[in-house]
Amino acid sequence: MPLLELLGIAALTFGAFFCAVGVLGVIRLPNTLSRLHASGKVATLGVFGLLVGTGLLMPALTFRLIALGLFILLTSPVASHAIAAAVLWRDQTVAELDRAHEAPLPEQQPAYGVTARINRHRFEEILEAQERVRQQRAQQAQKRQD
Amino acid sequence: MIENEITRQAVELCLLVLVLLLLPASYRVFRGPESEDRFLAVDLITTLLIGIIVMLALIEGTSVFVDMAIALAAFAFIGTISIARFLSETIN
Repeated sequence: MPLLELLGIAALTFGAFFCAVGVLGVIRLPNTLSRLHASGKVATLGVFGLLVGTGLLMPALTFRLIALGLFILLTSPVASHAIAAAVLWRDQTVAELDRAHEAPLPEQQPAYGVTARINRHRFEEILEAQERVRQQRAQQAQKRQD
Repeated sequence: MIENEITRQAVELCLLVLVLLLLPASYRVFRGPESEDRFLAVDLITTLLIGIIVMLALIEGTSVFVDMAIALAAFAFIGTISIARFLSETIN
């Protein structure tokens, strides 16, 4: 067995191992941002290991694999950032709602039970809280510009 | 195509591991307490599918599968960005 195939098998095993670790993290970790951190490992280390292994085992595919790798390298951080922005938006709105009611629920685990806390508030209050968070963000952006 | 038998078995084992990983990832889709968790797990499943398609390209020995993986990555990116924009403007 030539050296190139051994290296390819090693890279494939590396990629599959990190895919397994990432899926395990997505199942086991306690809150949404930690799960996002784990799923980022699958997109970078896991799939990149698989791509490198495939390129070593079959050199005819190298150019397409490089194109796919570059595309994943460009799009995966952008997607993770968008999901993280959605989670941050949700957490800030819920914190603003609790501040408005002045009766925060006990904070056992920050990301669990957000749906329960939202269902307690009426829809108009949710919209008002979203508007308040938007204004706070605009003020912060202006402060940063000044 | 791969000529060596041991290499072929190793590649098929990696493919089996990746396909089996789809099951625990979809557990998070059904179970996830918030909608962001379900969405994150769907994104993870798409990433795993890209890996599976690349392994299929390796087994079949054709380059069409890699083109399929590039197309899947592009459409997954568009979907992820649009759903994340939707989630960051509304609750649930």
